[in-house]
Amino acid sequence: MSIIAVPELEAQAPVSARRQRLPVVSLGIVAIFVLVALLAPLLAPADPYDQSLRLRFRPPVWEERGSWAYPLGTDRLGRDLLSRIIYGARVSLAAGVVTVLISSAFGAAVGLVAGYYGGRTDAVLMRVTDATLSFPVILLALILAVTVGPSFTNVVIAIAVILWARYARVIRGQVLTLMTLDFIAQARIAGAGAWRIITRHLLPNTLNTLVVLITLQVGYVIIVEASLSFLGAGIPPPTPAWGSMIAEGRDFVTSAWWVSFFPGLAILLVVLAFNLLGDWLRDTLDPKLRQL
Amino acid sequence: MNTTSRIIWLSLLVLVVTASPVAAQGKSDLTIALSSFSAETVDPALQGHNVKYYLSLMFDYLVGVTPDGQPSQQGGLANRWENSADHKRWTFHLRKGVKFHDGTDMTSDDVKFSLQRAMSKRSTTGYAGPLRTLIADIETPAPDRVVIVTKDPTLIIPTYLSRSLSTEGMVLPKKYIEANGDDVFARKPIGTGPYKFVEQVVGSHIKMTAVDSHWRIGVPKYKNVTFKLVPEETTRIALLRRGEVDVADVSRERVKELEKDGFPVHMRKEEAIIHAWWILGPEGRTPPTNDKRVREALNLAIDRNEVAQSIFGGYAEPAAIPMGLSWSFKEVGFKLTPDMAYAYDPARAKKLLADAGLSGGFSLDVYAFQLPGFAEGKAFAEAIAGYWEKIGVKSKLIPVDYPAFRKMWVDRKAPGAVGYYNIANRDWIGTYALLEKQGYTPSKLNDTVNDPEIDGMIAQVMRQTDRDKINALMRNIFTRLRSEHHGLPVVYVHSPYAASKTLGKWNPGSVMYDLFLDELARK
Amino acid sequence: MVRFVLFRLLQSLIALAILSVVVFVLARATGDPLHMILPMNASAEDYANARAYLGLDRPYLQQYLSFVGRAVTGDFGTSIRARRPVSELLRERLPNSLRLATFAMGVSLAIAFPLGVMAAVRKGTGVDRAAQIVAVLGQSLPTFWVAIVLVEFVAGRLQWLPAGGADSLASYVLPGFTLGWFVVAGMMRLLRSGMLEVLDSEYVKLARLKGVAERKVVWVHALKNALIPVVTFAGIYFAVLVTTAIVVETVFAWPGLGRLAYDGITSRDFPVIQAVVLVTAILVAAVNLCVDCVYALIDPRIRYAR
Repeated sequence: MSIIAVPELEAQAPVSARRQRLPVVSLGIVAIFVLVALLAPLLAPADPYDQSLRLRFRPPVWEERGSWAYPLGTDRLGRDLLSRIIYGARVSLAAGVVTVLISSAFGAAVGLVAGYYGGRTDAVLMRVTDATLSFPVILLALILAVTVGPSFTNVVIAIAVILWARYARVIRGQVLTLMTLDFIAQARIAGAGAWRIITRHLLPNTLNTLVVLITLQVGYVIIVEASLSFLGAGIPPPTPAWGSMIAEGRDFVTSAWWVSFFPGLAILLVVLAFNLLGDWLRDTLDPKLRQL
Repeated sequence: MNTTSRIIWLSLLVLVVTASPVAAQGKSDLTIALSSFSAETVDPALQGHNVKYYLSLMFDYLVGVTPDGQPSQQGGLANRWENSADHKRWTFHLRKGVKFHDGTDMTSDDVKFSLQRAMSKRSTTGYAGPLRTLIADIETPAPDRVVIVTKDPTLIIPTYLSRSLSTEGMVLPKKYIEANGDDVFARKPIGTGPYKFVEQVVGSHIKMTAVDSHWRIGVPKYKNVTFKLVPEETTRIALLRRGEVDVADVSRERVKELEKDGFPVHMRKEEAIIHAWWILGPEGRTPPTNDKRVREALNLAIDRNEVAQSIFGGYAEPAAIPMGLSWSFKEVGFKLTPDMAYAYDPARAKKLLADAGLSGGFSLDVYAFQLPGFAEGKAFAEAIAGYWEKIGVKSKLIPVDYPAFRKMWVDRKAPGAVGYYNIANRDWIGTYALLEKQGYTPSKLNDTVNDPEIDGMIAQVMRQTDRDKINALMRNIFTRLRSEHHGLPVVYVHSPYAASKTLGKWNPGSVMYDLFLDELARK
Repeated sequence: MVRFVLFRLLQSLIALAILSVVVFVLARATGDPLHMILPMNASAEDYANARAYLGLDRPYLQQYLSFVGRAVTGDFGTSIRARRPVSELLRERLPNSLRLATFAMGVSLAIAFPLGVMAAVRKGTGVDRAAQIVAVLGQSLPTFWVAIVLVEFVAGRLQWLPAGGADSLASYVLPGFTLGWFVVAGMMRLLRSGMLEVLDSEYVKLARLKGVAERKVVWVHALKNALIPVVTFAGIYFAVLVTTAIVVETVFAWPGLGRLAYDGITSRDFPVIQAVVLVTAILVAAVNLCVDCVYALIDPRIRYAR
């Protein structure tokens, strides 16, 4: 993952933004939630789908009428909130990670190809990228939800179908700069083909950017899923997903505050952690990415 | 302090000054916040779904009604009407001296024009179809008399042209529309109602202003009336708290909170029935719901009391009759007896399933969607799916929105799947009209019943003019709907409308899709 | 330079053309708008009538060409649901969206400025961390939740500010803040790193040696230079604000484009869906074009990129 040392690049890098303290807290939070997601069946005290109308809107254990049977309270159908949050970690994190992996893979590929070949290929790919970028994510997700019904898959598709364009643009920009460097010309002269150059020389030098982008985008996807749930196009009930849990509890902000608050807290912690992690990665790996 | 801080303080000051809550709308304005405007057109002929909240302030009806839905000679443009002996000629005597908002007089020509327009191809009103098949001719023997001639003897004409159903009875200005065209009318409508249209921003609000004096209301108390579309409940309530709106529809969950804070909450009791049904296949019911025992079992598995108490916050009553619109029961003499209620009996439900050969259970698709005025839609679907799971019926929730569900219903591509609606309660004629749409095989795609006996009874009501015979038929229809379990009537819901503390007395009435807001304007 | 602009313009138009096909197909895939406007008991004949009346029974290619042909002149057809020209609806709603986005941009800058400058000047300290966290917080909370909490407490309980609608200047505050907070992080980051770069540069070192007051160094010299990337990206963020406002518009009953799109999609109102997507695309494309031009002005290499 090393950047091939080139005198020009180094001189431009700001001296100040290197070596920062490891973001222990952010890493810790991400690690904890990933573990929670993986170990959900072992950790959750109850079945997240088990509904009991008599127990609806019970408060957390420290309030009167609360009980250890549902430590964080119950939602509008009497389901245990803690269990739903634990299982929700799976759903929300999976949504974020899967979407981002798909869009980054595809987007990077497009960016690499466009930047390498240039000319008409570049122009065509970039026009498609631009067209994609200008389509609002939320509207596409809504249209998809209304056409084929909301589902986990549709949320991933709707977001990935537009998110790749961001990667494509950024990676292409990087590749364009890289292509002006001598070592690419040298590789060409040495007889290297397109595939070799792209995978051996270009891709490794864009990995830093990719890592930063990926980390930053996971949080973004989780937040978008929450907004989609609010509009009725997110991951549908009864699947526990943090975004839809917050949306379900939004009319009870004062009366049954825990229904939205705890999933909201979970999202806040996870997304904040990913964002701060991404910031640190950017500052450490490639400070030139200040516009991301 | 530096410039930045100065700027911040200054801006805060400006905000505080401009943000003081609008002092109680000066009694001269009335503002209503609603969660949905439905079709949102101000042309009555384009209202496919009968919403009259704002239309009934701008337009008057041929036949008026009292707030509890009875035809009234004081409430409409016709102060008197009579029928011929054979019930084929209906004569309406019009009030004199009523003027449209542009100053022209309202005459029988306008009534004829409006009715023809409501029945035209362009119209999408709810009862245009039946009126088209029923009305043979409209005569205008004098400027203050209209005679409606029907092809068959019927009792329904005054009600169909009244405020209790839809908008076909609204009287529109013939000269204005003919001179300016439908498009202009749809943008700048005029009528004879107590309020004149001022402006509409689709998706945001509708503003109107009072006429000087109205034949029914007198001098309107409120100078301006504004309807605001505010989809988010928290915002509607915040607007109410701030005094920016005087009336807001609220969900049942928040009634207690508002009452505790001193806001009067007006309940429209049994405003709708939450009624679910099984989608038919192309030829009718499909297994397993073609077996009466299965339908009964699915009904018995639902704990209606618990649903009423928990999902609807106690503002609901268990329902027993499929498509049983209770506002019609008294009129037709239908008595609801305790044995008609569906008990909560999962044990018996399981036994019925076993009798039907389904002791291993079966799969059922349940569509889950939200509807205007029924925010609990998805929770409701999840709840009944949960009850069915407990008797061994694997219920799969399919999230959609209403148009997608309607497509499945009408296309009949998902036979046996469960859907629901909050059917607005109404009088017997409205109920009959609903049955003719949803319980009548010849109505084809919209049918949810497919029962030849019921078809026969409905066809008879259509042509009957003897009230006793009609009542008997309606009673029998209800009885059979119940005995054959032709649906899943779950609860009647009460709908809360919160008002500002200074609003005063208000009876929202029990007329479908109307809130009688014009009555508030009466001094 | 002119060639560059023209070339980019042409490319944008091509992108728009692609988009028009995509949105045409997507809109029609959503379903049948007639279910929403016709009453429940409409017969097959009623449906056929309505379809003919609305021009929905023509072959798709004809509908597409008619749509594009008129769109070029600014006529986006008639809304199936509202039965009014879509261009009228756009005229009612677009200014509201633009105004809200502008206000949100202002709020965003007002927050990002002090945060970014402070973070840069006090780099590495607790103040830096705190500023970063406050900025990133805006991206870590679902917008609708922030909006609803603000409406409930600031508007409803404390009654400090209006809860909805677009009537007064004060009614811009809550929605503007909710919308703007989302992009604060990005702008603050730009400012901070821009400032850091400049503060380390030879130019500033020289100014310090010459004895210029530190405050002047920071607020005048450094800020001026750090602003350039912020300004260029402000354009992009503005477009983001316009296109992602739908949630804020729903909660605050703000009559903007987002809500228009939502109503259009849920009622399968093809002309409205097409129009809103195209208009936002044009807006985004226009902004991108401007930004690219500004960049090209600054960095001539980009003009001639392959």
